[in-house]
This record gives sequence, C-alpha cells and structure tokens, in this order.
Amino acid sequence: MQKKRAYSFPDEVLEHVFSFIQSDKDRNAVSVVCKSWYEIERWCRRKVFIGNCYAVSPKMVIKRFPEVRSIELKGKPHFADFNLVPDGWGGYVLPWIGEMAGAYPWLEEIRLKRMVVTDESLELIAKSFKNFKVLVLFSCEGFSTDGLAAIAAGCKNLSELDLRESEVDDLSGHWLTHFPETCTSLVSLNISCLGSDEVSFSALERLVGRCPNLRSLRLNRAVSLDKIANILCLAPQLVDFGTGNYTTELRPDVLSNLTAAFSSCKELKSLSGFWDVVPAYLPALYSVCSRLTSLNLSYATIHSPEIIKLVSHCSSLQCLLVLDYIEDSGLEALASSCKDLQELRVFPSDPFGVEPNVSLTEKGLVSVSLGCPKLQSVLYFCRRMTNAALVTIAQNCPNFTHFRLCIIEPKTADYMTLEPLDVGFGAIVEHCKDLRRLSLSGLLTDRVFEYIGTYAKKLEMLSVAFAGDSDLGLHHVLSGCESLRKLEIRDCPFGDKALLANAAKLETMRSLWMSSCTVSFGACKLLGQKMHRLNVEVIDETEPPCSRPKSCPVDKLYVYRSISGPRSDMPPFVWTMDEEGTILH
Amino acid sequence: MPNMEFELGLALPTPNIIKGFDLNNLGLDQPKDMGGLEARNKAARCFSDKSKRSFEQAFGNSEEEYKTKTLLLWSGQPNEEDDHKDQKKRTFSTIDENDAEEVDQVVGWPPIKTWRKKIFQQQHRVGRIGNNRVADTDSGRSIYVKVKMEGVAITRKVDIRLYHSYQTLTNSLITLFARDKKCADDDYTRYILTYLDKEGDWLIAGDIPWQSFIRSVQRLKIIQKICTFWS
Repeated sequence: MQKKRAYSFPDEVLEHVFSFIQSDKDRNAVSVVCKSWYEIERWCRRKVFIGNCYAVSPKMVIKRFPEVRSIELKGKPHFADFNLVPDGWGGYVLPWIGEMAGAYPWLEEIRLKRMVVTDESLELIAKSFKNFKVLVLFSCEGFSTDGLAAIAAGCKNLSELDLRESEVDDLSGHWLTHFPETCTSLVSLNISCLGSDEVSFSALERLVGRCPNLRSLRLNRAVSLDKIANILCLAPQLVDFGTGNYTTELRPDVLSNLTAAFSSCKELKSLSGFWDVVPAYLPALYSVCSRLTSLNLSYATIHSPEIIKLVSHCSSLQCLLVLDYIEDSGLEALASSCKDLQELRVFPSDPFGVEPNVSLTEKGLVSVSLGCPKLQSVLYFCRRMTNAALVTIAQNCPNFTHFRLCIIEPKTADYMTLEPLDVGFGAIVEHCKDLRRLSLSGLLTDRVFEYIGTYAKKLEMLSVAFAGDSDLGLHHVLSGCESLRKLEIRDCPFGDKALLANAAKLETMRSLWMSSCTVSFGACKLLGQKMHRLNVEVIDETEPPCSRPKSCPVDKLYVYRSISGPRSDMPPFVWTMDEEGTILH
Repeated sequence: MPNMEFELGLALPTPNIIKGFDLNNLGLDQPKDMGGLEARNKAARCFSDKSKRSFEQAFGNSEEEYKTKTLLLWSGQPNEEDDHKDQKKRTFSTIDENDAEEVDQVVGWPPIKTWRKKIFQQQHRVGRIGNNRVADTDSGRSIYVKVKMEGVAITRKVDIRLYHSYQTLTNSLITLFARDKKCADDDYTRYILTYLDKEGDWLIAGDIPWQSFIRSVQRLKIIQKICTFWS
C-alpha cells in the first residue's frame, strides 16, 4: 500500500491544525483516524467533558489526556433533582480532584453538575492548581462557606465562581472577605443560591468595585433593593445581573436612584433574581427592558398585569422564565411583544394545590407558538391540555429542540375529548424533526411511544412518567430512537421484556433510569451478568433485593455504560450485578 | 455514530454495531405482532442485521459466547404472560420528607427542583393567623390573602405586603380579574373592592388607613357596584 503524503506532516503541524477543532465530537473523530493522529490528538486535548463521572475513572482520563486544562463532570442522574435518588447515592468529586491535583497542576477550569463537593475538595482545588480560573458548581451539595473561603483566598486568578442552584451550608457570612485586595480578575460571580445573611455586603461591594471586568453578577435573596443601586453604580459594565430581594419600604428616593442606576448599565442584557417583588419598583427597569434578551421572573410573585407591563417593554427578549401568574392573558401579550422569543419556561406557583389558582391553560402556549416564530425551547407546567392544542403548537413551531410539558395531575386526559394525549405528542415528534429533548405527561398509551420511536430520530433525552400500557411502549423507544442518550422513566408498566430485548441499545446510551416500574431483580441480574460494559445498579432503601424472589420488581434501577467497571463507593442501599452474577455492594 | 466519549479502540466507527444483540433470543426468530408494519420492519432489521460486522465479530469474542446469550424468549406479544399481574402497583401516597404538612403527595411529582419547592412552601404554608391569611412565619415578609371576584371560578392569592396603597392594589386586582369576566380592561368604575375584616364583617376597602387595613384584612372580594342608598 502506498504511503500517503498527508501522513508525513510533522506532528507540530497536525497539532496546530487540531487546535482549531474544539468540539468533543470532532476531536473524538480525529482521534480514531489512525494511531499517530490518536497520539497527537491526545497530547493536545485541553478540554474534557464527562457526562457520567462513573463511566470512566480519573486515572483512565489522565492516562489518555495528560495535558487537560478544563474538565466538566456530571454525577447524579437527573431525577435526583426531584428527590428520587436517595442521599448518599454517590457522585463524589474528591477522588477526581485528588488524582488531578497531581496530574494536572495547570488545570484552569472545573465544571460540575449534580456532584457531591466537600470543603476538603474545595481546599484541595485552591491548593493544587496555581492557575485556577473557573469553578462552576451547578446543583451541587456537600460544601459550606468554609470551602468557598478557601477558594476565594487561594485562587489568585479566579475569574468565575458560579454556584447556581447548589446547596451550601451556611457557617459564616464572611467568606467573601477572603478574596484578597489584590483580586481584580473576577468576570462572573453567582451566589444566588446562598441563604439569607450569608454574604458580607461591604466585602461584596469592595470586590465588585475592584473588578473592572465583571460581566455577570447574581446576588442572593438577602441583598435588599436599596443596596442594588450602589452595586450597579460600581459595575455599570454588567451584562448579566441578578437582583436580590426586590422589596423595601416605599420611599421616593429609592425608585429614582434605582432608575438612574439601571439606566447607567448600557450593556445589561440579562436580569434575574426578583424575589418578593414590589410592583411599584418595576418601572425602574423599563429603561433597560428594550435591550434585555433574557429575563428570569420565576421567583417573582407579581401577577399578570404587572408582568404584562414589564414584558411589553422587552422587544428583544429571547428567553423568559416566569411563574404561571403570567396566565393566558400575559402569554398573549408576550406573543405580541416579543417576536424574538426562543425559550419559554413557565413554572407553577401552586403545584400542590388541588384547585387552579391562576387562569393558565393550553391557550397560553398556543398563543406563544403562534406569535413567536423562533420559539425553540419550552418548559410548561399547566393543568389541562388537548390534542388539538398540541397539534396546533407542533404545526406552528417545527423548530422545537426542547419540549417539556408537565400537566400537573398525572394521567390527565384531553379535557375536551377525554382521550389520551398520544396524538398531540405524536404531532410534536412528527413535526419537530430537530427535537432533542422531550418530557411527556398526561394520559398516554403505548401509541405515543410508537410515534416517538417512529419519528423522534434526533431525540437525545426522554422523560416519561405515569405513561404507557405495556413493554411494547418501552420497546418502541429503545428500538426506534436512534440518537437516544438518556432515558428516564418513573411509574410506568415497563418490565423485563423490552429491557432485555434491547440490552445492546443500552451500551449506545449514557444512562437509563427506571423507578417504580416492573423490572424484576432477575432481569437486572441477567443484564449485569451479560453486559460487561454496563453498570446495572439496583437501588432499594427498604431491603436487599436478593432477600425477595427474583421475580420481584426492583424499586429503582439505574443502568449506565462504563469502561471502569462497577464503582467502589456504593452505599448500602445500592447493589450492582457483576459478570459472575455476584451482587456487589 | 456511537458516542466516542471514551476510548473504544481504533476500528472505524460502525453504526448500529450492536443492534443485533438481543438478550431475549438468539436473534433468529422474527418477533410477531410488535404492532404496526413500521415497528415490525424496524424490529426485523434489528434482529437480522447481517450486512454489518457485529461488534463481537470485529473485536473477537467467540461465536460460542455469542450463542449462549439466550436469556429470555419473547415472541413480542405484549403482556403475553403477565408475570407481574399480582404485583401491587406502587402506592402513590408517599410522604415527602421535606414537606410534612402535605401528605398524599407523590414523591418527586410534579417535577420541580427542591429549592423551587421551598419558595412555594413559604408562600402557601398555613400560618398561625388562620386559613384565610397565610403568613411567612420565618420573616413576616409576606401576607397572602385569598381574592375572589363574583362570577369568576378562580380564587387567587395575593401578597398584600407588596402593595403600598389601595389604588395600586385595587387597580391590579380588577385588571387581573376583569379579564376572566371578559369585560374591558381598566374598567375600575364598575367594580369595588371589599374585604373581610378580623371581626368577620365584609366592608368596602378604602376607609381605614392602609397599615390598619393590611393588619385586619382576611379575604378580598371584588363585587359589582350597585345603586345603593348610601353611595
């Protein structure tokens, strides 16, 4: 075979070419072209994304990619957000930090999602990485303000500290004072998740004042409205701002100061926060509204008239998060004012109430689908829906990439025809050919899964609850959805047959979660025994699954592919099946 | 194309590499009645994909091992042998540890993140004051009062602490409810705001100072103005 010229490029040239290739997918493709490209690529890979921290071990990652500067890790399954994963299940970051401390002294960025982070991990980060710049802890837990103090004190070049939605133990309000006076490098600070009184406001003001590159600042609820004007005056260059409490005594100077402060922020594009909003202070925002592309009012208990007034000023809005106080009338106003809207999330204000407390129905979503041609991503909580509405929405918005509908009462039928909502969701998957994420709700039979298996070819993540009639439903999804990566199911009559018939499919996916279904312990054992590259974890907090007959359904099942075998940090209530059929624990 | 998240070796990527790998049978039987021609065709492709090398063949697992992977024979009939008919369906009324007051809730449903639920709980927890008023007992910040309008089914709740005058409260409420009655917006003149005070009397809102009002109000009701002797 004739040697091709291309392969005789010197390594440095190839490396230079590879440096333009940033996406993981492309990098992975490059690495399997031939042995020499594999070698060159692995030495110059700087960024690694690991969607499941148990899919691979830290040592394996380090061995293959010795010069990483940025790592992203995800831990617990998504349903952990809704308390379905017991505490102590896993997702610990310490082993990773421990290994990387030695191997990656020049590590700059760590991004974690749904992981357990301890103060010890944070202290280790602060000590080990001299050029550490970015720490993002998304929905993490297990650490306290002591750990944050270590980061503040130890990371001299810190540019980003983002604690979004994490649970932080409040031990001391003064961790912010640990940022040295020499720290001027902050670009992004998100402390919105911290409980009350955890922040030393004067330290915060000084920090903001000395960081000229600060672009994103999200305060927590403890910061009251009268303090915001000062902060904004110190940082008029902000692009993204999260207020604290949007309430204080009604005084004439507050409104005028606030209005002036906001209008001095010429770059402001994104607003959030707005706990406890006093409607009288909303007009302070009007001057920035026309530039806003993103607005998060999902904590704001303001009602439809006030929301409409605000939103009608936001002609450039692309992303809106709001409570269902917006109601159908507000959504109609949104549809006529915000023609660039791409993402809408409507959260329920009273999810556990029996009677509706707002007039938000399928009509609101239909209005938005009609009025906003760029709409791509929807999360919508409501109490009623019809197939007709879903069909209309699907026809109006063929560009949906994310569609999550949550009808609050499980198994709610089409309220007009009393039929299942199969046809409606079927229309969504049929029309929206680029759909990547779908969450189902309402009354659904196996038929909806047939539609999904047939049409949803780009679907990567599917969430199912209280749906389906039989294993056929699950089989349609596993055999039809070619791009499926994550499947999470709860309270559905899906059992062994579909799972075992599609065992191989599971190796092409990141993970499968099934809870309160009818998968037997015997099937789990078999799956674990035969599929060596899958970790099959059975979670049961009440008693060991082997103490019951094999045909007994398991409480929770989490299956994920892995090349590092069963993990060694399982708590007592998690069992995994290994190759010999033994149950590890 | 399989996700190359981790190292799989140096073979060129083969799509559908393991599609024929079914733990229910050897892949020799055609499944019957999967439901629909489309599904059947799909299943047929899945079970007898001989055109591409299987993962096993490419990476050298023995034929022997492959053949022994008959784990469950399934003809594809849904619910043919309903093994689990006797298994009781999981009970739905489990108590969520985080909110002891709200029994009979399904764990993790509706799917709302824990920290968001905490915000709702603060808004709807029944305070010491009684069923009509819901106070945020932690900080005394919010006072939620039920609001109804004649002829409208929805009962709303408003946090009256967020309003500073009768004017703003009345305007906001009437605008809000008037839509449900399909009457003109801002039609303030046709409606008046009444409230239930601590003594149990329904009074017209506006007579007492605002601060006294918010300490006394139990419920709000919007009624149509009628011709009366004393207006």
